[in-house]
Amino acid sequence: MPFMTNRRRFIQLLGASAAVTGLPGRAFAANSLTMQAAWINDAEFAGYFVAIDAGFYQAEGLNLNYLSGGPDVIPESSIIAGKADLALTSPDTTIKIIAEQGAPFKIIGAQYQKNPVGIVSLARAPINSPEELKGKTLAVPPVNVISVQAMLAINGINKSDVNIIPYAYDPTPLIKGEIDASLDFVTNVPYTIEQAGEEAASFLLYDFGYKTYNDAVVVSEEVLKGKRGELVAWLKASRKGWHTNFADTAVYPPKFKNTWFSGTGRTIENEIYFNGAQRPLMEHSDGVFAMDEEGINANLESLARIGIKGSRDIFDTTLLEEVEA
Amino acid sequence: MIRVRDHTATLGLVLGLLLLWEVAGQLRWVADGTLPPLSGIFTRLVSEWREYSPHVIATLRSASLGFVFGNVVAVLAAVCFCLWPLTERLFRGINIAAFTVPPIAVAPVLVIALDGDVARITLAALLVYFPTMTAALAGMQSADPGAIDLIRAYGGTDFKLMRHLRLRNALPFIMSGFQVAAPAAVLGAILAEFGSGARWGLGTFLLGSLGRAEPDRLWGIGLTATAIAGLGYALSAILAARMTDTNRAVNVSVAAPAAEAATDSQWKRAMALAAAILLPFLIWQLLLWWAELSPIIAKTPLGVVDYLLTGKTAASAQERLFAALAETIPITIFGMLVGLGVAFGLALLSFTSPIVTRALLPFALVTQTMPLVALTPLAVLVFGRGVTVTLVITISVTFFAAFVVLVQGFALIPRAAFDLVSVYGASTTKKLNLIAIPASRQWIFVAARLALPKALLGVMIAEWLATGKGLGNLLNQSRGYLDYGMIWTVAIVSILLSILLYQLAGLAEWWLSRRPADGSKSWN
Repeated sequence: MPFMTNRRRFIQLLGASAAVTGLPGRAFAANSLTMQAAWINDAEFAGYFVAIDAGFYQAEGLNLNYLSGGPDVIPESSIIAGKADLALTSPDTTIKIIAEQGAPFKIIGAQYQKNPVGIVSLARAPINSPEELKGKTLAVPPVNVISVQAMLAINGINKSDVNIIPYAYDPTPLIKGEIDASLDFVTNVPYTIEQAGEEAASFLLYDFGYKTYNDAVVVSEEVLKGKRGELVAWLKASRKGWHTNFADTAVYPPKFKNTWFSGTGRTIENEIYFNGAQRPLMEHSDGVFAMDEEGINANLESLARIGIKGSRDIFDTTLLEEVEA
Repeated sequence: MIRVRDHTATLGLVLGLLLLWEVAGQLRWVADGTLPPLSGIFTRLVSEWREYSPHVIATLRSASLGFVFGNVVAVLAAVCFCLWPLTERLFRGINIAAFTVPPIAVAPVLVIALDGDVARITLAALLVYFPTMTAALAGMQSADPGAIDLIRAYGGTDFKLMRHLRLRNALPFIMSGFQVAAPAAVLGAILAEFGSGARWGLGTFLLGSLGRAEPDRLWGIGLTATAIAGLGYALSAILAARMTDTNRAVNVSVAAPAAEAATDSQWKRAMALAAAILLPFLIWQLLLWWAELSPIIAKTPLGVVDYLLTGKTAASAQERLFAALAETIPITIFGMLVGLGVAFGLALLSFTSPIVTRALLPFALVTQTMPLVALTPLAVLVFGRGVTVTLVITISVTFFAAFVVLVQGFALIPRAAFDLVSVYGASTTKKLNLIAIPASRQWIFVAARLALPKALLGVMIAEWLATGKGLGNLLNQSRGYLDYGMIWTVAIVSILLSILLYQLAGLAEWWLSRRPADGSKSWN
């Protein structure tokens, strides 16, 4: 059956352009690395765009393939399906799938030391603590429901006391008063709310005991073994990209107007706001992506509160050590 | 001259409704400005066209490729089914699955198993297959028996018959199948853009724009998607009209199971049925084996049984699944019944005042061609996130097909029946009561069978994007947790649910047909 051996080629032919980038065969080619981002192209990934445009990856001998994410892209799926070598993920879902389904994943770095997800409400009806969520309607992206449930549990609040509805990343219902609060990146949505003539109030889940990273850098054990050099190069170049971007948070977003940020439906002013707001959440004395023992323990303890039993060996800090060396 | 005056009145009503929209938008009547004025939507659309164009091109590309592939497969399948009726019986399970499967249930698996473009084209093609296949098959089978006998008498083989008669006869039917298939292709392409992380496409653009709190942008994208689907519909309608004398501007075909050959033994029929049921599972298993997916993603039929019934996940999976079903099933049935009621009311209205119906038709057509995923955020803007929005979406996706079937049914009532009661001085209402309503009963069931899978899809999309309840939400949440066992389970259960409801409608029809009401079929 000749078509059996050629089935990947068959798919490639069908898919013409896009097919070429994402196949497992390609992802494992020498010195190339495919990364799956966690969201559509916005300031959350500015550091990578800087590094790509400035040739930092090439300087490390790396040919980087960048896949955008989006509200319905589950980054871990891309690794499982062999479409990407590395993904930026929310650590709660990653550790949940490692613990419950035995997925062979390792976390080799963390983009956000403090998870930027928080509860956003309007300043004229502010919700400033988990306690104040009781009896309120809160919009949460289905993927993040476990994070909210963890935060509620940590603060001794019954999850049935909060009316959780799906959040479609549209702040309109909040601005119109249809819902009381939503879960979103506090680095982003307050700007949209201000644009609509309102003022936002917010608090981070992190500040109320749910101390997790976000945009954890996740790889499969297979990639970790086979492409260790590439991964170290990726960490090095990406860190350089982020540090360059943070030198002045207003410089890069306008440069990406017609490239990375074109067609996303968002404004450049929004990205500049985002870029500035995320800096304090990412900085670490050991550099971007650092994972110290205290942070790792906080992640594991937070997740243990909702029954996700992770362990220290999910985090592999040895690549970061090579970057520093 | 009556025709011209009629058209003027229709046009006047359409313009009046559009004007009402404009005024309602300007004065912010609906939900504090979430329904923007038409002029505002179009000004915005034109000024942002440069931003739109790459997205429009991407969606057009995958939708039209899917349209082409789906139709090629559909016509080839119809040829096979016509030449070798046994294949039709073997593939009945596959065909019913293709008709009833809610595309949002298969989208997550397609997106992960195939690469971006291929997933979008495949989903579009999958949604295109059934309407074209049934239309083509019906066309081939309805070839003039006299002509068939003639060709046979001159020694024509089945293939000759197919080439010279059946295919030609089927052309207008295929074109009318395209009318249903074209909007379906656009829906498929956009649905598979969700979740694929594609840079370009109207679905991607819609998701990016959701966070901006700008209703005019959302309406602009929704109307653009509708325009693409509507364009495909219109092109097919024009082609269909040119190929037939009678204008089949709107034609919905329903696959009625062909009567089995009377000569077949019970045993032979049972074998064919068993094969039809087993074949989908066999193909499912083969496709997974072919795609070489990680076992975390790929669940075989036995894997799903293990997940739901026998494995250690069973208790938790059943609990979540039944809770979701308890939320989804009642509203699906209720929404479908209300949708049928609306269709029935409109069909009766078309009897008494055709002008009103003609004025409403363009708007009804919009709800039919507007991709559901683009419709849902707009419906949320206007109706909120309660039960209402689910009902509104379900009704708007079910009533149109039902309406068309009912109107076609009414049109088949012989004029003589009406003339007879007219002679006795019956009013329009009397005519409805005596003739039209009893006669429509059989068509109601045809409409119900058509509407059911759409109702389930409408409810699941509303649950997924708006209300956070039921099967739609379970599917979405399972994706987030990479719980692929549940994703496969929901896909299979929603297909089985559709088939079950479909069979129930058939059972109800059969039961009612045994007890004819007074006056029905009195002209036969």
